[in-house]
Amino acid sequence: MTADKERLDRAIIAMRVARELPPGATVNLGIGIPTLVSMFVADDSIVFYHSESGVLNCGPLAEDGNEDIDLINAGGQFLEPVPGMAYFSSVDAFAMIRGGHVDVTILGAHQVSATGDLANWMLPDRGVGNIGGAMDLAAGAEKVIVAMEHNDRNGNPKVVQECSFPLTGKGCVSLVVTDVAVMEPTPDGMALREVAPGWSPDDVQSVTGARLIIPDTVAEYEV
Amino acid sequence: MPPAKLDAEAMARRAAGFIAPGDVVAVDTGLPSLIPGVTPPELGAWFLRNDGMLNNLPLSLADAAAITRGGYVNLAIVNAAQVDAAGSFAGTVSAANPDRQPPANSVDLAAGSGRVIAMLSHTDDQGRPNIVEALSSPADGLRCVNAIITDIAVIEVNGGGLALSEVAPGWSVDDVRAQTDADLSIPPALREMDFSLPANAPPSKVYPDGPSAIADVPDGATVFIDGFGGPGGMAHYLLISLRDRGSRDLTIVSNTAGIARVVSFGTPPGRTAIDHSVLIENGQVAKAIASFPVSPSVSRPSEFELAYRRGEVDLELVPQGTLAERLRAGGAGIHAFYTPTGAGTLIAEGKESRNIDGRDYILEYGLRADFAIIRAHKADTNGNLVYRGTSRNFNAVMAPAARVTVVEVDEIVEAVQLDLEEVVTPGVFVQRIVKRPDGFTGYE
Repeated sequence: MTADKERLDRAIIAMRVARELPPGATVNLGIGIPTLVSMFVADDSIVFYHSESGVLNCGPLAEDGNEDIDLINAGGQFLEPVPGMAYFSSVDAFAMIRGGHVDVTILGAHQVSATGDLANWMLPDRGVGNIGGAMDLAAGAEKVIVAMEHNDRNGNPKVVQECSFPLTGKGCVSLVVTDVAVMEPTPDGMALREVAPGWSPDDVQSVTGARLIIPDTVAEYEV
Repeated sequence: MPPAKLDAEAMARRAAGFIAPGDVVAVDTGLPSLIPGVTPPELGAWFLRNDGMLNNLPLSLADAAAITRGGYVNLAIVNAAQVDAAGSFAGTVSAANPDRQPPANSVDLAAGSGRVIAMLSHTDDQGRPNIVEALSSPADGLRCVNAIITDIAVIEVNGGGLALSEVAPGWSVDDVRAQTDADLSIPPALREMDFSLPANAPPSKVYPDGPSAIADVPDGATVFIDGFGGPGGMAHYLLISLRDRGSRDLTIVSNTAGIARVVSFGTPPGRTAIDHSVLIENGQVAKAIASFPVSPSVSRPSEFELAYRRGEVDLELVPQGTLAERLRAGGAGIHAFYTPTGAGTLIAEGKESRNIDGRDYILEYGLRADFAIIRAHKADTNGNLVYRGTSRNFNAVMAPAARVTVVEVDEIVEAVQLDLEEVVTPGVFVQRIVKRPDGFTGYE
């Protein structure tokens, strides 16, 4: 069974996503795999991190023992104070997002549809969920990249023809990076761009809920 | 032959006599700009100028306009060229520049202020009356002027027209009428202008403790609770005070509905933070309006989630940026706005939506509250606030949108001790200040 083929680990997904960040970009990282992306941005590629907690140009996380409750990111992690940070209110934080000042956001997802609909705030089984800044990022960021595992814990595909979970935004996702493939939602459907080492396009299709558009050549995942 | 007309400073002194202690007074350019210079500082007035200065505190023009439209201006004093019998006024015109100048913010002032006073010379350069039956140029404000101060009279505007309430020293009713092109009624209380100024101080904003600062939060109140979710920027002492007061049936508006107690969000290792849960487990909350209401961990549900599952509390889920903007709008006198966030999702259900320039938007309404309990690092006795780091996100946005904003601070200083360049929340948005007791940690 193809789903048993070896999948890439979370760090490799993050490493692949990091290649999508142009130097000088203002970037917002969601919780989970997206948080790992900052570890893989090349030292000579300056990227400005934005967080909904009201801080721009976040540096690294604080070391143990240096926690300051007045210096957190949107995931509630403690930040190291670094020169060049700016603090602001939630109104300004979201003016940056909705106003088109955040170039790229990297988000986790429960489902992404073939045309780029995003569902990432509620699992229907729980009956209640957290939206946080996700809907604003989906609506406002210039580019939305989803970084996630290709299938959920039960093996269900997360790349689907139509989302069955409540949406975060319609047609907002421009790139999906998973542990088996890189895909691009298009108006015509989900286009396969890259596959993980050892995976064929058919292997990827077999674990995907959306009908993939498979071009003549599909590159191997580059990291 | 009547005596000389009043000079500009005397007019400014008369205008200053209308200011009550602690009033926010919007002063236009021209004659009104002289008022701050003649007003006793003890009165504690906040003068908002057209250029965005609030006393000596520099504001953006958006924030200055928010103060005006948000209903914080008790008294607006506009520089008028003409006022008519219905209390409409037209802005500055001069002989050298007969075209009307842009109305600057006098249109906002006219729309948003408690009481509007127009100042102007009673007649123009050629001796023609400026108080007229009908304006000769378009109005900056329609039927908004409550009183007129000129260089020979004070005139009250009421529904029935203009009433002469004061005359300058030595001026008779007939002298004033001769220079006025509108009917003036003469009430029995007509008197000569008095230039004495009040100098009583406004009541102190500093309260002795938390319980006294929130003692009048009624059952059914809407209360803004600040912070992002972790203990940073959360008014723990006021939360405990509100729990002890026991007000019930509250609607709380906050980014989370209390998650810090059950997860490590923003909390140093080994600590358990006081959060909204203290109100929820005490049965005080009927509804939460929040963007991140429940624990990110399904296996560690918060008090709110448990109460929600029992059907004891309602939830209105709002995207975080929409929550921030709804608060901003509420505080800035903007009733509603269109946002793209949430279009095509569950959030849009039941809301008016509109396609603008090819994109879908949904209509969201401003939020206001009876009380806000917020935390800041430092306050001066006027209520100007300084925050630390990321502990300003929702705090700074909530302060303007509540009728009564109560702030909990580490330190209260005299006004002269605060660096005004660091002030984020101007004191006009803060009604009560409490110092967090020494040794109070915010942890359980």
